[in-house]
Amino acid sequence: MAGLLAVRPMTNRLEAARHQRVQTAIADREIQALVLGRQDNVGYATGMRRLWTSGTRPFGAGCVLIGTTGRAHLLSSWDSGVPESVPFDDLYPLTWSPEIMGSAMKAIEGLPTAHRIGVDTCSPGFIRAASRFAPEAEIVPCDDLMADVRSIKLEEEIELIRRACQVAWSGVEAVLEQPKQELPLSRSLTATANQGVTIPSSKPVVRFDGNATIVDIGVIVDLYEGGVGGRFVDGHREETSHLVSACRHGATHDDLADSATGRWLVRGLGMGYETPILDPTRGRDHTLRTGMVLSVTDGDLRDVVAVREGQPDVLSAKSPAGAGS
Amino acid sequence: MSPFFRMGHPEAVTSLSSDPLPDVGRMQSERLMLLQQHMADQGVVGAILLHGPHVAYATGYVSPAVDSTHAVHERAVAIVGLEGSAHLFANDPPPNLIAKAHPPLSPELDESIPDLADALRMMTHGRDRPRVAIDELTGAMLRSGLFDDFDTVDASRVLGPARLLKTEDELACIDQAQRINEIAMEEVRGHCVPGTRRSQLAAVFANRVRELGVEGILIDPIFQPMPKDRSDPPRTSTGHVAFPTGVGDPTFAEGDVVWVDTGIDVEGYASDYGRTWVVGRAPNQAEQTLFTRWSAVMEASLTAIRPGATLAEVARAATKADGGVRPWLPHFYLSHGVGVESAEMPMIGTDLGDPFDEHFTLEAGMVLVLEPVTWEDGVGGYRAEEIVAVTEDGWRPLGGWPGYSPFDP
Repeated sequence: MAGLLAVRPMTNRLEAARHQRVQTAIADREIQALVLGRQDNVGYATGMRRLWTSGTRPFGAGCVLIGTTGRAHLLSSWDSGVPESVPFDDLYPLTWSPEIMGSAMKAIEGLPTAHRIGVDTCSPGFIRAASRFAPEAEIVPCDDLMADVRSIKLEEEIELIRRACQVAWSGVEAVLEQPKQELPLSRSLTATANQGVTIPSSKPVVRFDGNATIVDIGVIVDLYEGGVGGRFVDGHREETSHLVSACRHGATHDDLADSATGRWLVRGLGMGYETPILDPTRGRDHTLRTGMVLSVTDGDLRDVVAVREGQPDVLSAKSPAGAGS
Repeated sequence: MSPFFRMGHPEAVTSLSSDPLPDVGRMQSERLMLLQQHMADQGVVGAILLHGPHVAYATGYVSPAVDSTHAVHERAVAIVGLEGSAHLFANDPPPNLIAKAHPPLSPELDESIPDLADALRMMTHGRDRPRVAIDELTGAMLRSGLFDDFDTVDASRVLGPARLLKTEDELACIDQAQRINEIAMEEVRGHCVPGTRRSQLAAVFANRVRELGVEGILIDPIFQPMPKDRSDPPRTSTGHVAFPTGVGDPTFAEGDVVWVDTGIDVEGYASDYGRTWVVGRAPNQAEQTLFTRWSAVMEASLTAIRPGATLAEVARAATKADGGVRPWLPHFYLSHGVGVESAEMPMIGTDLGDPFDEHFTLEAGMVLVLEPVTWEDGVGGYRAEEIVAVTEDGWRPLGGWPGYSPFDP
């Protein structure tokens, strides 16, 4: 797609930077091995790309990071989608057999000898399996570690999210341009697909209310999410929410609640839906910090912002050059 | 009612039009009964279910087909005791569920654990170290120590056997999903011409299934040009080809042999459409021969499918029909089941090995998606998928089996 080449050369450096952040965080917590099951965490820590399937996935060890060796071991039967930094010998193949998976885990240098194995999530079966392939190890929940690392974005990540938001815009504009007798999303799906994007992040919304059209589109572009939503009359979006400008460094739950006018949700956005999550009932103890990227919903309006000291950087502001350029 | 049932399948080779539409309420109560029966059999007093397909099975609540990160943070949770209704914790559940609805839980968040603890208490009240089936322990759940006083087992132990034998309503859902998938893909094939890209075909597919009343696309549609030699890249651990990689957005060129694979959902039940297409020309003689071999493998496999047959018998019949070489991708299987997940038990020919296949016996109500692959280096491969339900006296097709264009006459 247009724009891809401008960003791609940075991705290896970005992958390395993300991997290093995760390695530093596990060292700080005295974790010798980190087992990641969530595909977004695997993507963050290694750059791995995998066939997208919708919905939750049962827990399985998608990736094992080892502190002492600095290596990332990935679940894959082939090298397609595997980042260049991971040699073929550091892949363990897809298997249906718990025994074969156990042997693969045992063969990873540094995993059987680990005292503390971090996991982003797990299952009773994995805990039992770990007691065999790493009998000395304590299983340590590290979902919070991954969430903390991911919540403050690198500048390259912010640009990838900004670009993904432009793809979402092209989907919104296609909805606004199409005749009402057509299925409301058909041109939108075509518009985003024409930029090579076929993965929805959220359930698309198209609703008509008098002369207004309410649209919300979210997409995943090269592992990063973009989205935008609003209430449109004559192709123009109604004003942006005060909640957006309230998303500054140091803002509290109360600050956000006071600025919202409709049903509101402020949540992390990066490689999909992330933390923190603040809404009328959740996230009362959270404070926003510079470098967070947030999806900010207030009623029908949604923007994506990067939190700064002063005014937030609205990543979902429509690029004057047009979507996707 | 989906538009499809008014219009009838254009190219159905077997008629299932007399099949009843799924009775969703009956399906929900029969599934719950089965699940509670398997829980009782295994001394499990409660099931705590976080995985979307498990929640759908236990409660009827079908999660939207969104990115996994959204599915995780906006997930529905099901809690099932030995008796009574299943409990569903979800945002805006539809009214037609027999499960008892509660406000959502967020088992990803530490702050939600007290609510989860309350929900558990109603099920396990007064029991000492109760055995509960659970499909995921989130970080917050682990940190809380909430399950330290429970005997936790994998939920698949109770859900696996329950899901294995489908009710008539479940079969009807799979049949309906597959027929809609087939109609859409038979149209997409006409768009697979030189110069088009995978993403464009994916959009045509998504639009067509929406027109047919389905929103849930379960897998980023696969249209993968295949190599001619097993040694061609990408490099694999099996020595066979990599499929499906799900990476990149290829532009199709004349002569490309493209393996396609798509899946949608109806009432939470998955379809699975697989075919081999050739771009911009008719299949050549060598490719046609691969299809002839594939047809022989299908016929032999189908002949072996009946209640009482072992998975190994089916695998042996398929292998014999292709001259003694196992006609499937070694990282996958000759066949897998389909239901609330697009690949589930029974699986034939996996690396669970021959002993597993020898000891697993087919029963009426099981579903098999046959996906043999015939291959010849220098030519490439033929792959297609068809779904059958095991019946009392053999099998019957699910979906309309619309043919194998451009390979069949």
